[in-house]
Amino acid sequence: MSRTFRVCAALAVLAVVVTSCKSNSSSAGGSTGPDTSATIVHGTTDSIVSLDPAGQYDLGSQQISAQIYDNLLVIPPGGNKPELSAAQACSYDNPTTYTCTLKPGLKFSDGSALTSADVAFSLKRNLEINDPNGACSLLNAINKPGADGCKWNPASISTPDDATVTFHLNAPDATWPFILTTTAAYIVPSDVFPETKEQPDDKVIGSGHYILEKYTPGQQVVLKPNPTWWGDPPANAGVIVQYFDKSSALKLALEQGDVDVGWRTFTPTDVEAMRGESSLQVLTGPGSEIRYLVFNESFPQGKELAVRKAVAMTVDRQAIVHDVYNDTVAPLWSMVPSALSGHVDAFKDLYGDAPDIAAATQTLKDAGITTPVPLEIWWTPTHYGDSSADEYAEIKRSLEASGLFTVSLKSTEWDAYITAALTDQYPQYELGWFPDYPDSDNYVYTFYSKSSFLNDHYSNPQIEKLLADERASTDQSQRDKDFEQIQKIGAQDVPVVPIWEGKQLAVARQGVTGVQQTLDVAYIFRYWLVGKSS
Amino acid sequence: MKRSGSLRSYVITRVLLAFPMLLILLTVVFLLMRVAPGDPITAALGGRVSAEELARRRHDAGYDRPLPIQYLEYLRGVATLNLGTTILDNRPMTQVIAQNGAATLELSFFAMIVAMVSGVGIGLIAGRYRDTAADLGGRLFGIVLYAAPVFFLGFLAQLTFGKWLDWLPTSGQTSPIVGATLATHTNLLVIDTIIDRNWTAFQDVVRHLIMPSVVLGLVIGGVFIRLVRVNLLQTMKGDYVEAARARGVKEGRVVYKHAFKNALVPVITIMGLEFAVLLSGAVLTEETFNWPGIGSELVRYLDNRDYIAVQGIIVVTGIVVVIVSLAIDILNAWVDPRIRY
Repeated sequence: MSRTFRVCAALAVLAVVVTSCKSNSSSAGGSTGPDTSATIVHGTTDSIVSLDPAGQYDLGSQQISAQIYDNLLVIPPGGNKPELSAAQACSYDNPTTYTCTLKPGLKFSDGSALTSADVAFSLKRNLEINDPNGACSLLNAINKPGADGCKWNPASISTPDDATVTFHLNAPDATWPFILTTTAAYIVPSDVFPETKEQPDDKVIGSGHYILEKYTPGQQVVLKPNPTWWGDPPANAGVIVQYFDKSSALKLALEQGDVDVGWRTFTPTDVEAMRGESSLQVLTGPGSEIRYLVFNESFPQGKELAVRKAVAMTVDRQAIVHDVYNDTVAPLWSMVPSALSGHVDAFKDLYGDAPDIAAATQTLKDAGITTPVPLEIWWTPTHYGDSSADEYAEIKRSLEASGLFTVSLKSTEWDAYITAALTDQYPQYELGWFPDYPDSDNYVYTFYSKSSFLNDHYSNPQIEKLLADERASTDQSQRDKDFEQIQKIGAQDVPVVPIWEGKQLAVARQGVTGVQQTLDVAYIFRYWLVGKSS
Repeated sequence: MKRSGSLRSYVITRVLLAFPMLLILLTVVFLLMRVAPGDPITAALGGRVSAEELARRRHDAGYDRPLPIQYLEYLRGVATLNLGTTILDNRPMTQVIAQNGAATLELSFFAMIVAMVSGVGIGLIAGRYRDTAADLGGRLFGIVLYAAPVFFLGFLAQLTFGKWLDWLPTSGQTSPIVGATLATHTNLLVIDTIIDRNWTAFQDVVRHLIMPSVVLGLVIGGVFIRLVRVNLLQTMKGDYVEAARARGVKEGRVVYKHAFKNALVPVITIMGLEFAVLLSGAVLTEETFNWPGIGSELVRYLDNRDYIAVQGIIVVTGIVVVIVSLAIDILNAWVDPRIRY
């Protein structure tokens, strides 16, 4: 018995010792200036598909790649237009020729020189590898004309010297500078990366702010500052990215101080709970993620303009934003988010910012449509988060409360859903969108072009002309006017109803600095700006 | 001699039966993954590109090839012990099994210890002191643990010991800083930190292990509590127990030396069955505690329709369950001479 007692006592002591030895690595309280010797721990629910630019088209991979690689152009913090990064000058020679000159003395993190040949190689291999999970389709402007899928066109890029790269575009394309900021245009060293296959994730190198020091798939990424980076050094001594399966686990780790900053993605409930924590700061910035309702015009209800307009007038966006998302999102009044150049509140201007039942009733009456109009609306339960169910319950409520509609909500899981939605099987359905680059073209072209992936059978020649004009123009103010016009026509035609736009939202421990600066429409968490107060 | 021969033929039969069983498992998983809507391309890029572009990419990736061809290719891979590379993140399956499997093994091992200590200990006390407060408490404890979902207990433990008391970390296998500097030799972090004599990291690893292993262990232990108690009560009615008592052997010795040992035999059998339960429980536990085991990876790969990863994980898990249940059968036969196959 005494031996048993001794064993129990020893175990109890061990338990006390182990539990009392809790490390306290969190920083709380703030003083002045960032402590550049501090390591930042970033928690996220994103995941990585590939760290080779040729194999990625997802936010999780892009987030880490943006730290490791450099682009000719980047979206600056708080901005929504490309600015020079590896390039010291870029301009259109004519609408189909775009030339960039590299900054002198650029180096990859292994010390080798970065030349125009590396830029050409990076884009070429992206097209040649043609990874089904990759973003080579973004390089359509230099793709081999007439090719089925991604194919390198040798005539598309010329490098007259080590510092100059000229892109010969297939057609006038004002979005090309934006494309050069994306994952498809990260610069990789031609003597390290294979030309026709992908580089192993743990062996990638670039010329960005950080070097990949360690990568444990699904668990952790460790980054340390790149000593060959051409710009200012980061506000920290390195970053550890910790991956979480669930928002709730990330929230607990933040509260415990195991994580300094959490970014992407918290549920509205978790955000609400963390707003009350004195050790945490909930920070928001403009976002570019949107949700919308699509009408397929091959179905009877979708074909009726009056029905589409009446729905746009009746949906209660404010109730969705407040009651479903706890104000973590904002009402969307155009298919272009409010932070982008050229945005106008087209739907608000046309239909008001609250449900207008009288106007909706009149619109349907004028069109001779008998009410209530039956609507079958499809949504998907998990792909867009757990709140989708509440969102569509609220849409049903507001539409039926008007007395003008009877709504039948139907749902199915994402894989079956998206295929059916895009192949004329659903009359009305929800979708969401993250931009490839923060330009209004990436929205208006996607949703209003007759070649839209939505396959909603909407087409308007006036919009087609405006889209061609904005793509051919290198004058941003003229493009903005075209975008405004497209949005106004889109609000009149209502092939899609904008519902809400996301806000960038991060939660940081008190004393963590620089987070607010990086919350913008580019959806890149710029680690080099984040520090801890000393 | 006869018994030894019987056991040998049983083992050989079991090993031979394992092959068709695994083939059935493989086939079912293969078909389920293909019959269910979706594929890795749609999971990753659906909602961003047109239906035609999705189809083209599916074709480029070879997901639209005839099922028999895909099936035969997969069988060939398994037969040559090549489980392939994950579609989602290009990881060799051997790496997934080695890294994430080790994390699950570590969790399961300590959870089984917790299950055995709590289950056998409480069951023994409940059986020994039948119809007392200790018995009632033990039974109630066992039923509650048996009935409670592991994720529910996990959340309660996280809130209590993590958030409110701040005694233990709530997620992960290590704290981020320790994980960033830790060298791995076996992927079993407790062992690795001991090999490196890195006692700070050892403490960190053990602290992270406590909550998930105790929660999972207690849930499994609920079954053992009830089983040990019932078996003990049964064996206490045995003739040899009566005989021991008649010989004047003290009650404590009767219980612990005579009845208890025999009461443990069915527990060994149940251990084999519980091992499969333990692995399925580990999936939920790993999800709850952000434990980087093979269970949480299975969920991630399932979400992304990664055929190769899901098939590989299930096949390996199936093999492990077969081996463990075979080992338990052999152990049972060795422990109890009355057992014949």
